[in-house]
Amino acid sequence: MTEHEIEAHEAEADERTMFGFWVYLMTDLLMFAVLFAVYAVLHNNTSGGETGRELFKLPLALTETIILLTSSFTCGIAMIAARQRKKAQTLVWFGITFLLGLTFLTLELNEFASLIREGYTLQSNAFMSSFFVLVGTHGLHITLGLLWMAITLGYVIKRGLNGPLVRKLALVSLFWHFLDIVWIFIFTIVYLRAFL
Amino acid sequence: MSETHKTDSEHGTVQSYVVGFILSLIFTLIPYYLVVHQTFSSSALLPIIIGFAVIQMIIQITFFLHIGRGPKPNWNLFFFASTVGIILVVVGGSIVIINNLHYNMQPSDQTKKLIADEGIYQIGGQLTGACREQAANHQVIINNSRVIPVRVLANQCDTLTFISGDGSARKVVFGTYPQNQSYAGESNLVIRKGQNQTITLSQTGAYRFYDQSHPAVSGEFVVGQ
Repeated sequence: MTEHEIEAHEAEADERTMFGFWVYLMTDLLMFAVLFAVYAVLHNNTSGGETGRELFKLPLALTETIILLTSSFTCGIAMIAARQRKKAQTLVWFGITFLLGLTFLTLELNEFASLIREGYTLQSNAFMSSFFVLVGTHGLHITLGLLWMAITLGYVIKRGLNGPLVRKLALVSLFWHFLDIVWIFIFTIVYLRAFL
Repeated sequence: MSETHKTDSEHGTVQSYVVGFILSLIFTLIPYYLVVHQTFSSSALLPIIIGFAVIQMIIQITFFLHIGRGPKPNWNLFFFASTVGIILVVVGGSIVIINNLHYNMQPSDQTKKLIADEGIYQIGGQLTGACREQAANHQVIINNSRVIPVRVLANQCDTLTFISGDGSARKVVFGTYPQNQSYAGESNLVIRKGQNQTITLSQTGAYRFYDQSHPAVSGEFVVGQ
């Protein structure tokens, strides 16, 4: 095989992997859609407890949104560096992405903790159950994404930026962009809507 | 040269990420501002903020994910479109069905209804408008052709009993056909076969009602202070 053929072969494998992962993301999106539907149906069923307007803090939600959006942006920049095989730049930008993601997760867990301290748990009412399940599922995805990112970056540090690793990073970044898009809807339907 | 250009448009450039980032920021801050300052009524705001979310999704899909820029046929886009279709059916359908169920299973004004039904005449020293004790009883008899009497004059906290003239089941709807109204949290009363229906007149004013199966058969009750 000539070098050109190898390249073409790799590009095709690349495309197939991406498509497979895309199909997974779409099924994941369907799961989120169902959780959104559950939340939309149950968010008024507070059984006399406080509503989202009293429980949520809009500036906090906005901060989380902007942090996640920025991390999605830095992830894209990191991917451009990775495709150009610039190892140092890739590590720096993915490092920033990772830290932003960690900040986001910390803020979210803090919010959960303060709700639980106030006595609002998964068992409080239908509204709280659907809230914790929807936002918690997203948080779980973020946690897994961070773990995956960290492991892949560990390999990059150890082995350098080779073709298969760039492909893996591309999947991580696709996953990360996807989580940001899901968050836009959580921000809108869970947080903004509570203050209408 | 042409090949590098192709990869660039497929995978995005720094410029496309910057544009997408700035647009996303703008489309996050606008709905936030609208909600915080309550620029529109809440019923108008909901579709507006959802619209902003959808636009931001399209922005991120275009500038961050670059879907729709690869070679044709674009299976990613195809799969995405079919997923969106399923989501619209599942989410939209659930919301419509469950809201309809809620609407049909609960009184239209739950709190008011609860206060009236439970006779809670004060909450924290504030009068709720519910009746403390019930006074005189009035009756209306609904036949297939008319309501006797056509007009009932009552005082607040009296009771009103709807009787089906021939004992058959009837549905009494408040308002004038086809414009329905609700009285004390109820939009209608169901008189079961061989039974009567009594309501407490907690709300003052003049109200009309009609028989659902014979809209021409209608009456009125006036509740004074």
